[in-house]
Amino acid sequence: MDLFLQTLVSGFLKGGLYALIGMGMTLIMGVMGIINLAHGQIMMVSMYLTYSLFTLLGIDPYLSLFLGAPVIFTLGLLIQQHLLNPLLRVETILPENQVLMTVGIGMVLTEIMRFIFSSDFKSVKTPYSNATIFWGEISFSVPLMIDFAIAVALTAALFFFLVKTDLGRSIRATAQDRTAASLMGVDTERITYITFGIGSALAAAAGTLLMPIFYLYPDMGGPFTRKAFVICILGGLGSTVGAIFGGITLGLAEAFGATYVGMEYEDMIGLVIFLLVLLFLPGGFRWLTKA
Amino acid sequence: MKRSGVIGTVSGCLAAAAVFLMPGPGVFAAEPVKVGIVLPLTGSEANFGEIEKQSFEMAVEEINAKGGVKGAPIKLIIEDDQSKPDVGRNAIEKLIQQDKVALVGGGYSSSVTAAMAGVAINKSFPLLINTGSADNITEPSSYTPSGQMATKKKKQMDEEKDPARKAELKAEMDALKAKSGEEVASIMPRYSIFRLNPPASEYADGIEGFLKEVVKPATAVILYENSLFGTSSASNVEERFKRLGIKILIKEGYDKTTLDFKPILSRVKQENPDIIYMVSYSNDAALLMNHSMELKLNPKLFVGGGAGFTLPEFYESAGKAANKVISATLWHQSLPHPGARQYFDNFVKRYKKDTEYHGAEAYAAMYVIADALKRAKSLEPVDVKKALAATDMMTVFGPVKFVSEGKKVNQNKMDTYVVQWLGGKLEVIWPKKSATAKYAYPVDWAKERK
Repeated sequence: MDLFLQTLVSGFLKGGLYALIGMGMTLIMGVMGIINLAHGQIMMVSMYLTYSLFTLLGIDPYLSLFLGAPVIFTLGLLIQQHLLNPLLRVETILPENQVLMTVGIGMVLTEIMRFIFSSDFKSVKTPYSNATIFWGEISFSVPLMIDFAIAVALTAALFFFLVKTDLGRSIRATAQDRTAASLMGVDTERITYITFGIGSALAAAAGTLLMPIFYLYPDMGGPFTRKAFVICILGGLGSTVGAIFGGITLGLAEAFGATYVGMEYEDMIGLVIFLLVLLFLPGGFRWLTKA
Repeated sequence: MKRSGVIGTVSGCLAAAAVFLMPGPGVFAAEPVKVGIVLPLTGSEANFGEIEKQSFEMAVEEINAKGGVKGAPIKLIIEDDQSKPDVGRNAIEKLIQQDKVALVGGGYSSSVTAAMAGVAINKSFPLLINTGSADNITEPSSYTPSGQMATKKKKQMDEEKDPARKAELKAEMDALKAKSGEEVASIMPRYSIFRLNPPASEYADGIEGFLKEVVKPATAVILYENSLFGTSSASNVEERFKRLGIKILIKEGYDKTTLDFKPILSRVKQENPDIIYMVSYSNDAALLMNHSMELKLNPKLFVGGGAGFTLPEFYESAGKAANKVISATLWHQSLPHPGARQYFDNFVKRYKKDTEYHGAEAYAAMYVIADALKRAKSLEPVDVKKALAATDMMTVFGPVKFVSEGKKVNQNKMDTYVVQWLGGKLEVIWPKKSATAKYAYPVDWAKERK
């Protein structure tokens, strides 16, 4: 029983972090209709930022959330403004060239970080990195619980923003029907910048929260882009609530897979669920809430 | 008589002139001799690649300062294999064909090294491996088609439960092995692989003594990273444990970029083994120890199978979770090999960080390369290969001589040691005659991790 509960706890806590990673990607997907394949790389950049702030200025990773997120927000905004939107005005053979552009951006970000920081693995060791609380025999990682709480708070803030503010409503309107929104006087181009910025800031937050418990290297973006993508599909593309379900499902699936099936199959289990969802629940978990 | 006297005088003069004209350090008349090195400089194994690259560069500077080889300096061309077999394969192709190097060295991870070795044998080009340790890399039979099929059959056989089918598979495997024996004859003339480090199956030789005499465990769990190095080491350790009568409760592989080891470690905790044996690269080793600490795992001993467990970075990122962990190692600066301590001190002075066995392997490999190039009749691959085969020298890593034994050809033999992290320092604890500190055992993990 302890084994089961420990697995549940580990999976759930990891899932909270995954949800945050997936949410940024899904928001961008909803508004722009493109998959941002540089998502993991943007997260990686934010982790280097956190790392630098910690090593150079001694700023705690959790505090650097307030510095890092705005910087990455600006980075996302500039990427959308100067690299992605101009592509809409260019005639090309491939309609998906925005997606291809994100792949390129991901590579460039990886190489820039490699150039500055080399390929060495970096980690931030804080006094609480390995802090744990025991409840009976079940261990709860303190940093992961803090991450979970912050993820929940950020999600709530995002919902408030999307539902209650003018800007949030404009974003939702653009996601629902870009032309109509534009006819109603929404500056949809500006909305796309802001959305990409928010999506990137969410990735940045996830990266910052991951920093105290994991390590960092320039090539880590790819695997996390892949995870974010799976979470997006699980949750139903473009659905932020779905992304939360998707993230937690993936976290739990990986944990239970590792405990009961085999550690080697951890990634495979996530991907099998991904395929099953594509086959039987093409709208992702969003379908379950709408049905 | 007179004639020979004249010749004697003339050659004497020439010799004197040669001495006189001998280039000082840095001033060479001849074109540099190019040596190709393939290492992981990016990707998940970059930590090891970095320490090896720095050691190669340090050695080559020393060699060139002392006159290089054949009156020319050595020029290293270092290629990044990105820890990927296909990239490694392209890198060695490029070094041989485009750069026209005299010899290729390096080879970090086993998967990449095996891919490189395939290319080297194809072109009969000398390759000196200093780290890639999977056993089959120096076994010519593994490069024959039947040998490769036999390996697959063995895997099937190991997984097969039905005894009748198992016997059938064994017969098929034996037939394939016999056939591969014949095919080896055709590989041998082209075989050009040399290995400085011992094969993975021998890494735990030292550990075996320590376990037998001190720990005497009854049960064990083996966790390994699931690429060639981990898989090959783990199956060797499994056989070794079975031979020692240690019951294996769990043997499980994992991907080296795993984020969370707690699920598998919870299962390990439930089984409560005497020892936990881990074959890991760098950060996975640190995370495994950190997560073990978070779950309050309490075996008699945590044992690392070399690689990540001896890196200075391991102690940095695992901190107190690394205390008292023991590991197999191939080298330590305190060993009585000439120059070992000096290499360590120079490295620390130059790069402001510690070095360990991977660095020593690379440093020694560079001296072996220079020695072979000096003795080679020409820089043609055939002659370099011959010179390498005749190597018999002392290095900071120990004596180097390539021998053929059992299925392995051109394999250096050496002792392995056991180290333990004691008070933030890596100390040799086994065999007793080489020990620099008394081993700490039994260990109260709860106290260590306060």
